[in-house]
Amino acid sequence: MSTTAPPRAGNSILKTLQATEMIDSKPVLPAEIIVAILDYLPVSDLMRFARTSRRMREMVYDDTHWVARLRSMGCWDETEARRRFEDAMKRRRELANRGSVGASGGVVAAVGQKPPTMSTTLFDASVEEERRRQVFLQRQQQHMAEVRDGFETLTVTGPQPPRPPFQDPSKDPEALLNVIKSAQSVRGHARHEYGRIYGALAPFYFDLASAKTHTDPIVFQVFRDPERQAQMLANLRLFAESDWAQGWRQREEKLASMTAIFESAVLREFEQGYEFWDVDGRMKKYAGVLNVLNGGSASIDLFIHKHPIFADREVLANAMDCVNQAPADHVTLEPSRRFFDVLLRKVNEQAAIIERIFPDPGPVFWAFVDKVREDVIMEYATPLFDETHERSIPSYLKSVSGLFEQTLNFFRTLTPPKGAAGEQEAKAKEFALKVFEPHLDLYLQDEQDNFTKNAEQEVGEWEKKLSDQDATFESFYLSSFNNRQADKKDFLTSFKKVVMMPVSVLPTSLSLPGLPIGSPFGSSKPAAPSANGNTLQPAASPQPSRPHSPSLPSSASLDRTGSPMPGKAAPSDELAAKAALMTSRLEGIKSLFSIEVALSLVHSAKASLGRVAVFIQLGGQAGGEAREQCESIFVALLRILGGRHIKPGFDRAVAHLSQYNPREVSQHDKGGVAPLVTFIELVNVGDLISQMIDVFYEQQLAGPKIADRNDFLDPSVLAKKKFEQMLDESVAAGLNKGIDVLMDEVEYICATTQLPTDYNPAAVALESESAFASTEKPAAGAGGLPHTMSAGLDIGPTPTAQRIRDLVASHTDMLVGSTDKSMLDVFNGEVGLRLFAAVCKHLKRQRISTEGAIKLIADMNLYFEWIRTLKNQDLLAYFKALRELSQIYLIDGKHHAKEMATIIADGDRFGGIFRAEEVYEYAERRADWYQVRRDVERAMYGLECAVI
Amino acid sequence: MSSEKDKSTQKVTLASNDGSHIEVDRVVAERSMLIKNLIEDLGDDSVSTAAIPIPNVNDPVLRKVVEWCEKHRGDSQQSTEEENDSRKKTTDIDEWDQKFMQVDQEMLFEIILAANYLDIKALLDVGCKTVANMIKGKSPEEIRKTFNITNDFTPEEEEQIRRENEWAEDR
Repeated sequence: MSTTAPPRAGNSILKTLQATEMIDSKPVLPAEIIVAILDYLPVSDLMRFARTSRRMREMVYDDTHWVARLRSMGCWDETEARRRFEDAMKRRRELANRGSVGASGGVVAAVGQKPPTMSTTLFDASVEEERRRQVFLQRQQQHMAEVRDGFETLTVTGPQPPRPPFQDPSKDPEALLNVIKSAQSVRGHARHEYGRIYGALAPFYFDLASAKTHTDPIVFQVFRDPERQAQMLANLRLFAESDWAQGWRQREEKLASMTAIFESAVLREFEQGYEFWDVDGRMKKYAGVLNVLNGGSASIDLFIHKHPIFADREVLANAMDCVNQAPADHVTLEPSRRFFDVLLRKVNEQAAIIERIFPDPGPVFWAFVDKVREDVIMEYATPLFDETHERSIPSYLKSVSGLFEQTLNFFRTLTPPKGAAGEQEAKAKEFALKVFEPHLDLYLQDEQDNFTKNAEQEVGEWEKKLSDQDATFESFYLSSFNNRQADKKDFLTSFKKVVMMPVSVLPTSLSLPGLPIGSPFGSSKPAAPSANGNTLQPAASPQPSRPHSPSLPSSASLDRTGSPMPGKAAPSDELAAKAALMTSRLEGIKSLFSIEVALSLVHSAKASLGRVAVFIQLGGQAGGEAREQCESIFVALLRILGGRHIKPGFDRAVAHLSQYNPREVSQHDKGGVAPLVTFIELVNVGDLISQMIDVFYEQQLAGPKIADRNDFLDPSVLAKKKFEQMLDESVAAGLNKGIDVLMDEVEYICATTQLPTDYNPAAVALESESAFASTEKPAAGAGGLPHTMSAGLDIGPTPTAQRIRDLVASHTDMLVGSTDKSMLDVFNGEVGLRLFAAVCKHLKRQRISTEGAIKLIADMNLYFEWIRTLKNQDLLAYFKALRELSQIYLIDGKHHAKEMATIIADGDRFGGIFRAEEVYEYAERRADWYQVRRDVERAMYGLECAVI
Repeated sequence: MSSEKDKSTQKVTLASNDGSHIEVDRVVAERSMLIKNLIEDLGDDSVSTAAIPIPNVNDPVLRKVVEWCEKHRGDSQQSTEEENDSRKKTTDIDEWDQKFMQVDQEMLFEIILAANYLDIKALLDVGCKTVANMIKGKSPEEIRKTFNITNDFTPEEEEQIRRENEWAEDR
């Protein structure tokens, strides 16, 4: 069994036999299992195991074990190791280049041998290591000798000049304290490094593990002052991490309990210092000790939990002040602002104190602020939110958003201690989020619900008012169209101005106690509410003239001139004034939809958006949700404004249009087709609203990057597109009807006002009586004149033609600038064509004498000139042809039948618009047709025969 | 028959290298990763009809291993995440295992080898810890005897190693 014989003796046959026997009888464990076993061995046994054989030594010395141990203590730096390794390689290469083979050989053999003295010129890792180890052992031995008797002395063979820090024995304990910190990562020398640490700490460690009471351990005897004791305990705790032999659990527990005893003792000192508010003395000292020991979390906890700020009467304000100091159903954020001011001052004071006490004030400060957040701010905010939520939703919305901004502002304006300012923004967001997280979902939901509800209510109210008002009383009128575009531009400018104004729920509004919530426009113009002495209801300010205008339905025209009403609430700002003015101008369409309603919807959307938008800066998920909410508010705005308000308005207007029958309307001298005028007004207002929405979108959503205007899937972009599309479709549908109506009117005018004598002055009154039922002829004034003065004195166009021209022109002009160009072109083209058809039809009903032809030509010229202003070449061709055509009436039929026939047959003359047969038909309308017919026909057919 | 609930009651037969057959519950056998993977590869049917040969392990050792597996059938299977190079600290041997390991050294080594071969990590760990406990406090010479190690050091060399690792000596 005994195998003590040196391996050289193994070649005897007996030896071999013996060995084989043993292998048979005793299974040999493979290397990987031995390695596994080694991991469970305490270090001392490990080293004895290394002495059993070369193979075992190799296994024990294997660097990976020791690197693992160093790493478990957190003092192995792989990058440092790599760097050292590369440096060593480089040096070795240089060495080889110089040919000093002996030196490198010495290095290789350096393990356990006295290193060659000449190698001091090179810094070689192994040499350095060896030297340091010896120095260390020497030092340790000296040190230990003081502490404990019978410590095995060691003779160091070749003392090297040690490095200064280790040289001085008086600094000895310092070196012990820093042993872990000074550990180096050198490949191939992890064992040495670990040995150094082990040598320094293991005696203390095992002594402590076996100590009975807390006074026993030599740690507390060697080191007297608490800082060093703490440092040593911290080192031991780290060291314990590398102890994984069996029984480590007990040892670690022991260490932990010792540390706990120590910690509580220090903490008591700290607490006493705290009670005397001995900031720079005991508190600072023991906070430092605890920081060295384990980061000082115990002292931080104590400091924060026992902090007087949490019982400070001055700080702990009553959140209900915000509700109580405001009028019913409102909330004022002035008390909360004061609350935050006080809190800010107090916390900043504490920041300075924390900086004095704690060696690492940053985390302490933030922990403190976190506690303040939890115990003070949340205690303040939550009851306020609950209360306001119960009382009224608008004040709830206002208080959440306002308080959020105050809170974020509070966290941002804190003055953190040195070194902690970098993370302030992130911390501020984190804390603000923590405060508002429990309320955020409810808030966002309520915000949207509230907006939707308000908007629908507003639209609903407006509709109700409308239905109260008898529709038959509607009086349409034509306002002055000259400055329409200027008006719109003006209005939009002031709208833009207001939209661009920052939403100031805070803090400017705070300086105005008693200001109602939900009126961002009022709050941004503080003078307004005081102007009329009382607080305005949110919806009232944008539409001051709305409430009374339905009550004066029959005097709408009076309303127009006399507005804005004197004695009524003055418009709260420029925009509202302009809106009122606009409304009074647009009184005619009040039954369809109201720009005031639209404006007020936009206002409340802006208020909601402004409130929600402050949450976006939180970023992350909450910020994303707030952003989505902003978009959905915008979508809701468009849905309600478009779907509930504008669309029905357009539908009604179109319905009016299609019901229009010129014969049933008594007044035709107004110069316009009332429903069409209304409709075109509507188009204008629709366009205005659309532009308003566009401005709003740009300013509120696209500007602050809430919505991406290039993302075509973005819900707000989609909603906006849909809204514009709806508007366009409504306009198109209305215009289609409008053209019909316009032409009906044109035909009606033709039929009722065109006198037979206009084009045929020679004809007798007999004809006129039989042709038209003149009993209810409305245009009596216009028709009365020609009787007497038709004798060719007047060569201008007939009144009928003038009226038609005016009618059509005024309607087309109204549209300019309110819809896009292409639609306008189509509309004009259609109007022109239809007008052409109507004129042709009209012409065929007339009888025209040679004298009357002058008038006719004048009429046609009138149309032609007007058409020319439309700049539509195709259309112009038609009216040119018409003008040419009118000339056939001028020809003296008796003498020039041949020429007339030539003209009739001359297709080129009419640009292909009229064929010869058609021209012939027109020629039949000559008053003297029956006299000239034969001649003309003969001339025509004769001519044709001649051609054939 | 291959549904999950059969697994608990399903039996497999293990054949040691000296011809004896041991019937065990499948869950017990699957403490061994080797057998578990083998069953997965071969499929349930072939395993239920034929015995699984364990060629490296003889009957007494296999019975011992099965005994351990029976005892620890309910243990949660350790995941392989602790394969990282810095070994986690492991718990001490529990009482039952200590008793279980009170066998002669030959048997102990056989069990360790069998656990290694069958890939039963927990049993291997217990074995290694037991061996480590045996080494504890022994002189190098005693260790050599125990583990049948041939000393290939000169006394000077051995002394050199001792000196080199002086720092680790128990004091």
